[in-house]
Amino acid sequence: MALFKVWFSSLIATMYIFWVSTFSCLDLPLFLSGCLDMVAVEGQFTFTAERPQLNCAVFFIGEPSDIISIEYNSVNIDCRGGDFIKVFDGWVMKGEKFPSTQDHPLPLYERYSDYCETGVTRPIVRSSQNVAMLFFRLHQSGSSFTVTFRKLINPFPCNVVSQTPEGSFTMIIPQQHRNCSFSIIYPVEIQIGELSLGQHNDLKRSILGCAGSGDFVELLGGNGMDTSKMFPMADLCYSFNGPAQMKVGCDNTVVRMVSSGKFVNRVSFQYRLLGHQELQQMKGNSVEDVCLRA
Amino acid sequence: MKPVPLVLLITSVLLTTHVPLSTCRPRDLNLINNQLDDVLLNRAGDDAMSYLLLYLQRNLGAQKAADVLHLQHFSTPQLRSDNSLEELTEFSKRNDDPPISIDLTFHLLRNMIEMARIENQREQAELNRKYLDEVGK
Repeated sequence: MALFKVWFSSLIATMYIFWVSTFSCLDLPLFLSGCLDMVAVEGQFTFTAERPQLNCAVFFIGEPSDIISIEYNSVNIDCRGGDFIKVFDGWVMKGEKFPSTQDHPLPLYERYSDYCETGVTRPIVRSSQNVAMLFFRLHQSGSSFTVTFRKLINPFPCNVVSQTPEGSFTMIIPQQHRNCSFSIIYPVEIQIGELSLGQHNDLKRSILGCAGSGDFVELLGGNGMDTSKMFPMADLCYSFNGPAQMKVGCDNTVVRMVSSGKFVNRVSFQYRLLGHQELQQMKGNSVEDVCLRA
Repeated sequence: MKPVPLVLLITSVLLTTHVPLSTCRPRDLNLINNQLDDVLLNRAGDDAMSYLLLYLQRNLGAQKAADVLHLQHFSTPQLRSDNSLEELTEFSKRNDDPPISIDLTFHLLRNMIEMARIENQREQAELNRKYLDEVGK
């Protein structure tokens, strides 16, 4: 009888705590004891859960001209018990995806590959660009998995996340109907050295800007990963030589090329990090609140 | 009131007021299955993220910590207002979740990339040293 009372009291206490926690949870982060990593080196990685790990993610990033290959080597998880390992073709942060759905060849649901569904028959997953990520949840301590991460060469890199706030890149879209974005997750000054759209210089800029043109380059700025939600800072739809520069004071600066497929399009650019003083100056000069531009 | 249940009730009240955030895991089976002390003591994960979060929570308060880190829950059905334990267990076990996301600030992301790059360069340097040693022989 006493034992029953103790048990019952414990149950009441647990339920009370849970009940209280649902109220105090309303606006609070739930991602508390998650596990997080970023990997840029090739190799074999093993994760073993010492205790239940419910919200884990590993980001993979390569050089701009790499694509990522993830191979499952040995997986010891309980799929039926709710464990999962999912690879996402791209990066997703705060619900925003890179590349955006407009810039990626696959529909969204095809960009997630679930080990529990296809991992055994298809043990190697390849990304379409230099970034990929892995989400996993392991309920049992002792569950583990091993993956091999490789970087493969991509001759025509389309979507890229830059590892550095400074650098240079030449993006070539060889007669393909696609959109490509080069994302620099820093406020930078971009200097476009050369832009070649089409073989002839017959693309005219209309009064309405580049909207009607099937081939153009745009500079976007924003504070998220999704390029379709970013603000256009400038657009260019005629070929030119000689530097054109622009400062974009946003957390994410993107050079995006839209290509109709009729031509070989090429854009070369350099970028450097904006200093704190420059940003302050831009803030002082700017009336708008939508990132900063100069 | 009998002493044992009273003690348990008081303990639970005291513990709840100290660690409300640690129990904020509606999708966490731990909350339901494990012991009280396990729930309360094992939240401090050994990764930078949880230490950072705990530090911020203790020093800034829960809401500010959430703002600083821009942390939100996964974009999944709202379970926080749901008190049913059975539904919770079922949801946690369900495999076909909607597309998963993670919440990070760009600041954290940049730091992580920087650390990964340093690791990459270190490995490359090691490899180069090995190659040069081989060539030298």
